[in-house]
Amino acid sequence: MEENKKLTDQELFSFVEFDHDQAERTGYSEYSYWRSVLRTFSKNKFAMALVIIMLCLIVFAFFANSTARFPIDEIHRTDKLLSPDATYWFGTDTLGRDMWARSWYGTTISLKVAGVVTFVCVIVGVIVGCIWGYVRATDRFFTELYNIVANIPETIYLILLTYIMEKGFWTIVLAMCLTGWLAMARNVRNLVFMIRDREYNLASRCLGTPLPRMISKNLIPYLVSVVILRMALMIPNVISQEVTLSYLGLGLPATTPSLGKLLSEGRTKFQDFPYLLVFPSLIVSIITVSFYLAGNAFSDASDPKNHV
Amino acid sequence: MENKEVLLEVKDLQITFKNGRREFVAVDDVNFEIYRGETFSLVGESGSGKTTIGRAIIRINPTTKGEIIFNGKKINGKIDKKLDREVIQKIQMIFQDPMASLNERAKIDYIISEGLYNFHLYKDEEDRKNKVEDALKEVGLLPEFASRFPHEFSGGQRQRIGIARALIMDPEFVIADEPISALDVSIRAQVLNLLNKLKKEKNLTYLFIAHDLSVVRFISDRIAVIHKGRIVELADSEELFLHPLHPYTKSLLSAVPIPDPQIEKQKKLLVYDPSMHDYSVNKPSWVEILPGHFVYGNEEEIAGYRKEIND
Amino acid sequence: MERQPILSAKDIEITFSMRGKYLKPIRKCSLDLYEGETLAIVGESGSGKSVFTKSFIGMLDNNGSITGGSIMFEGVDIAKYTKESDWLKIRGKKIAMVFQDPMTSLNPLKIIGEQIREVIELHQGIKGEESKQMAIEMLEKVGITDAANRYNQYPHQFSGGMRQRVVIAIAAACFPKILICDEPTTALDVTIQAQILDLIRNLQKEMGMTVIYITHDLGVVANVADRVAVMYAGEIVEVGNAEEIFYDARHPYTWALLSSLPQLGVKGEPLSTIEGTPPNLYQEIKGDAFAPRNTHALRIDFIENPPYFEVTPTHKAKTWLLDPRAPKYEAPHAIQKLRDKMKK
Repeated sequence: MEENKKLTDQELFSFVEFDHDQAERTGYSEYSYWRSVLRTFSKNKFAMALVIIMLCLIVFAFFANSTARFPIDEIHRTDKLLSPDATYWFGTDTLGRDMWARSWYGTTISLKVAGVVTFVCVIVGVIVGCIWGYVRATDRFFTELYNIVANIPETIYLILLTYIMEKGFWTIVLAMCLTGWLAMARNVRNLVFMIRDREYNLASRCLGTPLPRMISKNLIPYLVSVVILRMALMIPNVISQEVTLSYLGLGLPATTPSLGKLLSEGRTKFQDFPYLLVFPSLIVSIITVSFYLAGNAFSDASDPKNHV
Repeated sequence: MENKEVLLEVKDLQITFKNGRREFVAVDDVNFEIYRGETFSLVGESGSGKTTIGRAIIRINPTTKGEIIFNGKKINGKIDKKLDREVIQKIQMIFQDPMASLNERAKIDYIISEGLYNFHLYKDEEDRKNKVEDALKEVGLLPEFASRFPHEFSGGQRQRIGIARALIMDPEFVIADEPISALDVSIRAQVLNLLNKLKKEKNLTYLFIAHDLSVVRFISDRIAVIHKGRIVELADSEELFLHPLHPYTKSLLSAVPIPDPQIEKQKKLLVYDPSMHDYSVNKPSWVEILPGHFVYGNEEEIAGYRKEIND
Repeated sequence: MERQPILSAKDIEITFSMRGKYLKPIRKCSLDLYEGETLAIVGESGSGKSVFTKSFIGMLDNNGSITGGSIMFEGVDIAKYTKESDWLKIRGKKIAMVFQDPMTSLNPLKIIGEQIREVIELHQGIKGEESKQMAIEMLEKVGITDAANRYNQYPHQFSGGMRQRVVIAIAAACFPKILICDEPTTALDVTIQAQILDLIRNLQKEMGMTVIYITHDLGVVANVADRVAVMYAGEIVEVGNAEEIFYDARHPYTWALLSSLPQLGVKGEPLSTIEGTPPNLYQEIKGDAFAPRNTHALRIDFIENPPYFEVTPTHKAKTWLLDPRAPKYEAPHAIQKLRDKMKK
């Protein structure tokens, strides 16, 4: 309180000039939505651990794939059905092929499929969903389309498409893209429905904002967290669909070892040679569970009510 | 009233909402004129249709019957692009809820210049930035606010940003839809002063929509009282407060809280009962009882009102 | 007034932890509540009035806690309660709260009769038909016609004003000693507002309750209050009888509140306003929190927070202007007019 001693009572009790600017400066709250999302997410130690495990796994898959000692289809006649040992870290299969190389190759294939499909479905689904939800005139058309298409399970479509088309990487990708965007579009459309008549959107309409900018500035920023969640859940979903298809012998060519192929191969010999199944399933499980749990944790983190 | 040019005219307006098979008549048989340079207030409770009318004028809601004429041209229903663009530039709206009417994920800079972007109403980037700065200063905010986000500001400041956004378009006619209802009582005065100041400076005409009569007395030239989609009384604001005729207007007036303990504690509350009107035989109409003072009622009631005035 | 207060809050401090920082929405608030009176707490959004009263019933959010002071109620310092079981003895039973938005206060999936009845069952232990009868009586008391039938209806079948009556019925069902109404009429139309205020007043007389109103509308205060406490930035800056506050206000913030009312405006002249915005709680507040917006600010306002100065035994204000060393000042024009009224 040295200040007080320096000023006399007279000075202390004199009127002060009113400063308008100072009155207006509130000192903002420094709240950045995304920074808060990241901070809340990182507080969830379990989710962070999963994300790290997942990233390591993905990086490792590609790394292991390119540094594998043995090519995936090299047959070692004398080393058939060996349990994991020093040379063949995951053992060998019925034809003497190195399971380590095959497993990691299969993982990279599955991840590539999942990545491309998710990316395409998100882009197409979000744009179509926004238009569907915002432009009233299109609602009827899309809803009818959805009702017709969605009543039949995706798997049936996938089986049909992959059966008709030639086997190959792009076949399976195309088939999944064709069936996957609709669910995302529907989800986005529901969200857009909820926000399209909020006052800030009415204001933009009053100002004559054209549709593309309405979508990019008014709608998409509010959808991002939900879309990211759906993406995180879509990836394991795609992998499991790929597993199903490969299991049935559809989609990828017989020579390409995907995780699904490996699982189907390992299934028959499971009793006596469990390692044939264990390693591929472990990889699939880790990816699926991590994406799923981390995705949910991210969704919780992006809810502003949890930003405390 | 010196300058009696009619800027906006609403004729026999009816707005009906369809919900599947059910129809709901929100607004019926509404007629009024707004003169250039005045503040015209539309007062009613929630659900009375006042917001619906405002939104119909600015073409957010479609109309079912009747006409809305702006500057001599009909602007409801289907209109050509040129007229649509003219309407957007000349008629602007200020919304009720400052928390909902700004895009949370956009910077203030973008929010205010949104209209400029839409019609490219600026020469270059620097011109646009200057316009934004001027708009902010006009509403009493600091230019440094342009780089921040809405959540960093209080309700009153956000509402002022909404006003800046509307006024940067240089409109002739501004519809203020309950602009101060969601604000603290102490901030309301700020915003009211601002609206008045801008009106004088830019020669604006206001349609002020409100549910609180105490506020409109201060700001408006003429007031229309609306009940369940129908205008029941219209008069100069002082005239309405001194000689309210329609029972609904009287009940609204009696309900307005007055910040004076002695008066408030002795106040008697009038309750409006719509069933007191018997319109089965004698049909009501819109009658000009005194010059500029209109009331809705049937012959019997009008005769009663005339008597009241003469006493 | 030699009466003993039924609730006495002294030097309450409440701290919230938010996004890694600590906020103090309430900085040393003291308030006495006397039996049978109606006390109005007036303040802007962010002044802390809701948070303050929520602490009386232990309804602070998870990240907030009372970090100082005491609340004496029925001989016990309830500020020290930490367990839900302690609060349940008071909440709803002895101190009840009515919130602003009736739509979110009611369970949309339960008939409203049940919502009243379960409160009676919980706090008074009366079950079955008897409690149902009591609930129906309560509905009639709050002015809902045909109560026996409307007992079975859902909230969405009621209008806004009716819903608020139901909420009041739930709060009053157990004959609490204190009823806290947090902006009960802000979301309602003016005509409905007047009816609800009347209702609460009648209930208060009939049931002998003490009522705290939280509001920012001075018209409502004039209608209902015996005593008024004015809050700003987490402190009570002025408290007194309704007449003293309206006709003889001493704190510049109260002046500003009173003179900025549109009802007092003169056409053609701008309304007097309070410039600027209330302080952000993240900031450290030095001195008087109202100083930056105070047109009658003294230098010392920016340095040291003023203590209470007594104007009358029932009226005190926290402003350096009342210090004997302060220079003579003129209250704003509008306040003079109100003062003249008082003299008549």
